[in-house]
Amino acid sequence: MKAQIQHLPRLFIVSSGREHIDAWGLAMQQATAISKSGPVMFQLREKGLEAAQLYNIACRLRPLLDTSGSLLLVNERADVALASGARGVHLPESSCPASSIRKAFPGLLAGQSVHRIGAAVDAWKSGVDYLLFGPVFATPSKERFGPPQGLEELEKVCRSVSIPVFAVGGITPEKSFACIEKGAWGIAAMTPFLDAGSLPATIDKFRCYLPS
Amino acid sequence: MKLPHRFLCVITDDHRCPVELARLALDGGARMFQLRRKSASGRELFEWAVRIQELCRQHEALFIVNDRVDIAMAMHADGVHLGQEDLPAAAARAMLGPDALIGVSADGVNEARRALEDGADYIGLGHIFPTYSKDKPDPPLGTSVIGEVKKVVGLPVVAIGGIGPDNVEEVMNAGASGIAVISAVSGAQNPTAAARNLVRRIWQ
Repeated sequence: MKAQIQHLPRLFIVSSGREHIDAWGLAMQQATAISKSGPVMFQLREKGLEAAQLYNIACRLRPLLDTSGSLLLVNERADVALASGARGVHLPESSCPASSIRKAFPGLLAGQSVHRIGAAVDAWKSGVDYLLFGPVFATPSKERFGPPQGLEELEKVCRSVSIPVFAVGGITPEKSFACIEKGAWGIAAMTPFLDAGSLPATIDKFRCYLPS
Repeated sequence: MKLPHRFLCVITDDHRCPVELARLALDGGARMFQLRRKSASGRELFEWAVRIQELCRQHEALFIVNDRVDIAMAMHADGVHLGQEDLPAAAARAMLGPDALIGVSADGVNEARRALEDGADYIGLGHIFPTYSKDKPDPPLGTSVIGEVKKVVGLPVVAIGGIGPDNVEEVMNAGASGIAVISAVSGAQNPTAAARNLVRRIWQ
């Protein structure tokens, strides 16, 4: 799997978390828009959905994302990821241990969210393929993870691990550049990508500030 | 994986420590234990599941995880129990392999038949009696459906929903292979005694 990791897309889009309210809505629209622009990492993070619904939506998203070479990652549920043919699983910090998930699901790409440098190093040592680190900048949606970690902390994390790190939390196209300068592989966000209509243009804006 | 004959399955509630409940229930003769806590993190479920699986092995009881096939695979549980809102049993079977125990919740012949086609090993049939453990808008099924499902579908039936010492006999006489309870054991002051009493009545 290591060879493919060199080619992970730089842009990491997190789903709205509102599919249980607006069923079959935004995620499908996003995936359709991505299929015309891609490739990106797309994390299906819908804690309000039961496993059957999550599975159904993942099965529908996957072919759309495949057409652009985008990677579908299911939040937390490696079982749903494997069953739906998704590329991987994204583990929250309080998940089932990554090392156990790795062993039980060897074919899946596995990444993890971390909010401190210590956790980042632990996650890297447990064998995950990539990290999401943040919040780097202030953002309402990440307030529960404490104050922003800042670019210096991002740089320390990137120097402490040898897997791709995606910066998350308050990222704009302009701020993406600073994150890359500090050693981030790419950036992750939810809010800028919520308007499916302007999604291709938004993706292009971010791409301007990201290495190809 | 082979189901025990005439058995008690104890399911966790949202209050008692799952590991402690497993210890008490197994001491009382439960032959199957199910971990179900929707609000718990993956880490919590994994840690509890590892310890409960160990206890179950010591007692020669079966351990199954509700809904979370990922947790069951990560810590090698004996199996899973899937509700109608969970992953399809066929998908779980494909991942878990032929040896894992897979139970599926059903409310009658139609869902039970589908579970059979999907590769389920047993049917969790309910709710048989009125129950307050879950928010159930539908009326209880009564015991006659147990024999019906058993006859039409042919899988072992584990009856669930409002089962306690006073109606165990009726459920077993209707053809159930076992009973699954939440509050009748986890809500008891002495879960071991409550489990022991249910097991005794299962065999009466």
